[in-house]
Amino acid sequence: MEPVVQFENVRKSFGSFVAVENLNLNIERGKFVTLLGPSGCGKSTTLRMLGGFETPTSGRILLSGRDVTQVPPNRRNVNIVFQDYALFPHMTVAKNIAFGLELKGVDNRQIQKRVSELLELVQLQEFASRLPSELSGGQRQRVALMRALAPDPDVLLLDEPLSALDAKLRQTMQVELKAIQEQTGKTFMFVTHDQEEALTMSDTIVVMNNGRIEQMGDPATLYNRPGSAFVATFLGETNLLRSDVVGAEAGEAAVRWNGVTIKTSAGALSPKPGDAIYVVLRPEAIQCSAHEPSVANRVQGRIRQRVFKGNHTSLKVEIGDGHLLNALVHPSEVEGLSRDDIWVGWPSEATTLIPSRNAAS
Amino acid sequence: MRAVFLDWPGLALKSFYWLFVLYLFLPLSLMVAVSFKDASFISFPLGNLTIDWYAKVIQDKQFLDACLYTIMIAAATTAIATVIGVWIAMLIGSLRGAAQYVAFAVACLPAVVPGMISAISLRIFITTIDLPTGTVAIILGHVVHAVPFVVVMVLTRLRSMPGNLVDAARDLGADSIVTFFRVTLPYLGPAIFGGMIFCLLLSSDDFVRTFFLGGYRPTLPMLIFARVQSGMSPEINVMATLVLVVTAVVGLYAEYLTRRSRIR
Repeated sequence: MEPVVQFENVRKSFGSFVAVENLNLNIERGKFVTLLGPSGCGKSTTLRMLGGFETPTSGRILLSGRDVTQVPPNRRNVNIVFQDYALFPHMTVAKNIAFGLELKGVDNRQIQKRVSELLELVQLQEFASRLPSELSGGQRQRVALMRALAPDPDVLLLDEPLSALDAKLRQTMQVELKAIQEQTGKTFMFVTHDQEEALTMSDTIVVMNNGRIEQMGDPATLYNRPGSAFVATFLGETNLLRSDVVGAEAGEAAVRWNGVTIKTSAGALSPKPGDAIYVVLRPEAIQCSAHEPSVANRVQGRIRQRVFKGNHTSLKVEIGDGHLLNALVHPSEVEGLSRDDIWVGWPSEATTLIPSRNAAS
Repeated sequence: MRAVFLDWPGLALKSFYWLFVLYLFLPLSLMVAVSFKDASFISFPLGNLTIDWYAKVIQDKQFLDACLYTIMIAAATTAIATVIGVWIAMLIGSLRGAAQYVAFAVACLPAVVPGMISAISLRIFITTIDLPTGTVAIILGHVVHAVPFVVVMVLTRLRSMPGNLVDAARDLGADSIVTFFRVTLPYLGPAIFGGMIFCLLLSSDDFVRTFFLGGYRPTLPMLIFARVQSGMSPEINVMATLVLVVTAVVGLYAEYLTRRSRIR
């Protein structure tokens, strides 16, 4: 199937600052795609270019196969949910949602029908005649979403829409957003700097850094098999171990980190002895015990810090002299462990190798 | 036990405020009081009270005509000044850097040029272009004076407008004209309304410009001035009281409306 959005060699610079560099990105219809990255990585510029509020310096943007690079925002079939909602303060909820439909020339009866359908979708029927100022943050969020969905856009763009909400509401809205996306079958392009939001909702995550795509894939792949040190550290907590390859054969590799030999699967890489390499080891893959465990990698250490967090305990374990590993374990695992003499271990599949030239970025 | 010392600074702060209130309201209340006096000259004590003077003023053809003329000029001034003021405010709002400051300073100039100077220069100007003194000339003078007040009020509101409201309207399919009328203008509504009330009050109160630019038909301030010239009588107090009540009501109502919409 033809992708709904295609960025072809898109570049955008503001003076000497390059916001987006040579972007090539295809978005499949009906997917929840998240652009994830730190502020200034070019994700918002990418969204604004698709919305029509910025014109690429070079390259093309295709929407449903049509070149929209030079088309103004009011004449392209995408709608945005703005960061602070941008609801029209003088219009009721129903009027806000109807705005886009009225401009499309939809007849009144159909507008009313569509507005009440959309209000029902987010259970705001009885708020139709309220003003935005009389709604809570979460309700405004839902109205903004429905207003953008009302004209039936090819792609719905969401510009960090959850950032103004408190933590609890944000989680509720994540689930709700995903449910609405699945229910409506719309293509959602979501922009955020929050890795948790990205992991929770997305079919595909596009990690951006310095105006370029670092890595793109489904959440599990990105989390478990990061392709660069940036992705590994940006998505979740991680131990990034700078190591030297000491041996490699048949998809397996042995590396040396801080005097400890680590057995790891080589993945798609073919490391050669002598190469410098990064090992990505997620804290939750580490097990702790009083006796030597029977996993491929095991090493003795001392607990330097122990923080009880309810459903898990966060540990800093010192290996050798002064090198720390972060570990997340179940609280019962560390009950009664002595601080100064424990074993930590992890299976060889739990680690990912990243070539060190990428590690530098 | 309460503190025994006196809070001198606090006391001074309060007393000066009440002195100011007295200074503000004493002359006004005297004026109002005398308008009810049952005698044809202004003196104290008041003696018997009457509303005869009110009855007389309300039937005074000259007074009613002056009221009508004042309202007509104020309405025309307001309509024209509002359109020009909003237009200029939108322009200034779209400018950046030095151009913005220059345009703003020019737009505000008529508010600080002394009324006398402005009136004389306009009088010379209309004579030059062969425009007779009278209604059109008065409106011309009042509009120039009123525009800066509209500009300042509208611009203040415009600057508080979230930038992405316009983006949202564009995004939903509105071109820039539709966006202006359906989103920007309603947002500016309270400020425009406040500016219009200000125009009405400025125009109906103006004496200097009207004096230099007017013809033979007097506006209310000119009529009252002429009457005062030929001797004080409670009739003048009645006219002044009526003007005071009407303007106070209009002003307070406008303040109430704009305050309510600001809270939103």
